[in-house]
Amino acid sequence: MRRAEIALSIGVLALGIGVAAVTASLPSEGGYAGIGPNFIPAVVAAGILLLGVWLAYEAFTGGWRGGAPDDPAMRGEHAFRAGAFLWISAGLFGQMALIGWAGFVISAAVLFICVARGFGSRRLARDAAIGLVMALGIYLFFVKLLNVNLPAGWLEPVLGGAGI
Amino acid sequence: MEALNALLHGFGVALQPMNLLWGFVGVTLGTFVGVLPGVGPALTVAMLLPLTVKLDPTGALIMFAGIYYGAMFGGSTTTILLNTPGESASIATALEGNRMAKAGRAGPALATSAIGSFVAGTLATIALTLLAPLVVNVALKFGPAEYFALMVFAFITVAAVLGSSTVRGLTSLFLGLLLGLVGIDSQTGQSRFAFGVPELLDGVDVVVLAVGLFAVGEALYVAAYQSGLSEKMEKMKGSLLMSAQDWSRSWPAWLRATAIGFPFGTIPAGGSEIPTFLSYATEKKLTRHPEEFGKGAIEGVAGPEAANNAAATGVLVPLLTLGIPTSATAAILLGAFQNYGLQPGPLLFETQKDLVWGLIASLYVGNIILLILNLPLIGIWVKVLEIPKDLLYAGILVFATLGAYSLHQSWVDLLTLYVFGLLGFAMRRWDIPVGPAVIGLILGPLAETQFRRALSISQGDASVFVTHPISASLLALTVLLIIVPWLARWFRRTSS
Repeated sequence: MRRAEIALSIGVLALGIGVAAVTASLPSEGGYAGIGPNFIPAVVAAGILLLGVWLAYEAFTGGWRGGAPDDPAMRGEHAFRAGAFLWISAGLFGQMALIGWAGFVISAAVLFICVARGFGSRRLARDAAIGLVMALGIYLFFVKLLNVNLPAGWLEPVLGGAGI
Repeated sequence: MEALNALLHGFGVALQPMNLLWGFVGVTLGTFVGVLPGVGPALTVAMLLPLTVKLDPTGALIMFAGIYYGAMFGGSTTTILLNTPGESASIATALEGNRMAKAGRAGPALATSAIGSFVAGTLATIALTLLAPLVVNVALKFGPAEYFALMVFAFITVAAVLGSSTVRGLTSLFLGLLLGLVGIDSQTGQSRFAFGVPELLDGVDVVVLAVGLFAVGEALYVAAYQSGLSEKMEKMKGSLLMSAQDWSRSWPAWLRATAIGFPFGTIPAGGSEIPTFLSYATEKKLTRHPEEFGKGAIEGVAGPEAANNAAATGVLVPLLTLGIPTSATAAILLGAFQNYGLQPGPLLFETQKDLVWGLIASLYVGNIILLILNLPLIGIWVKVLEIPKDLLYAGILVFATLGAYSLHQSWVDLLTLYVFGLLGFAMRRWDIPVGPAVIGLILGPLAETQFRRALSISQGDASVFVTHPISASLLALTVLLIIVPWLARWFRRTSS
């Protein structure tokens, strides 16, 4: 789809403008070197802007050169499944929201269930069981064996304090 | 002979029971994760990095060497049995290996891959042992200007010369360079692109970027575009034993492939992709059984697999002696060094003799472990391949988020991970390579430091980069690499 390529090219351009704007606020004094912490950011901003223009030029003149073919079958794909994409995203956001509060085990199990659902699973009980056991195993391994702190959350009464 | 003494000393380190154990654990875990379809070596190393946080540096890096080799071997098993190359370097193996499996010869295909990997890995490690001290001697004469020129050279070859599109490769590289700028500027203490977020002041962690691009991005992509497409797994039938003919056709291929793979690994040529294809083409040309190619010729598995391992070892030469990663996997390994405050390069050979030579010795040990572990355990790896996709990706994402979260115990890192996942999804879908971004993130800040150091020494005189002969020739070579293909294309267009 050319439209997506145009949108992505414009996204790169916009990113370049954003980087340039932030760079403008960075100090330029740099001691003996004569260049400050804003020099390389300026080079990167210029590079991104230039690449954005180049990508847009290719997108507007017949599409990106040597890019992915338009026909999904040639890319080994079916049509975009928004549901699958959203289930996985929901799982990741669910984990972000839950991890500090419900703890690692529960949030990881929620993520597990949502991702499995995104890949077409309809067996909620099986996914929940596997997700919980796996998350619990990881939790115990990291907290008890590796001494890496992970939040126990709601399961704290059962698991005891995190991190020993 | 100094190298030999150092190596013997290194064996003393690598063969300590605990270090041997870490090597063993690394190979096993690396193979297990590497076998998982859709998980390449870069992601394997990134996902397993959090496991080593509490180890001493030597043990951790020895474990990593094991993971690195295990991941390579695991990937080839998947390719041969499932025909879904986890990484571009396995595509050549897929051509013949999967056909052999279809013809009921999965056993010999896996055997030639394992033994070939061992032979090539060991020969390449010998070459590494001999070559590394020589490179270190040269590198000790390098100043900041030379390092900077070398890094620019690596950037351009990895991003612009390799791959299907110069502009998309460079875009990926610049995204990586931008991410590398996030955080506190090491020279002045100035915060850049962190927007006051404490998690960003530390900079973007290479594990979060790699796991975001390779695991979250891949999961989003496969679920949205490829779920439900069926894959056929080939049965592991027949014996693992190679016939006399298999042996006599395999060993010349292993040796040729080592000679191709190792040199390619040592230069910034993007790792294993080119040498595996070169090896495949060589075997196809030299074979006495051309009619078998495309139907399952054993040379077509033996060569690329050996080339892959030889190149993977070659990649360690610039990584250890110069501190320059030339593949995404090597960039993550460099991140592992940095986690321990170690900067690979010539000085590491002076200051951390135990660690460096222990690591090199553990490569020999790792190859042996790989050989004795993998063929007997092949039945287990086949079972791993049977894990259904929904559970597989759910498990991968639990592990991926764990690595990101354990950095600061903060959900902000999970959000960053998701953003990188969206990026990885878009890059996968619209054919933008991800390797240059990972290399840019890790190498960008080092290049900036060398650049500013060079200018500090010269009191702001930018001509240092062109008046030092080594730096000047590297930069000239870089310019040629960009211009020559353009000129060639232009001439072709005007002459036709």
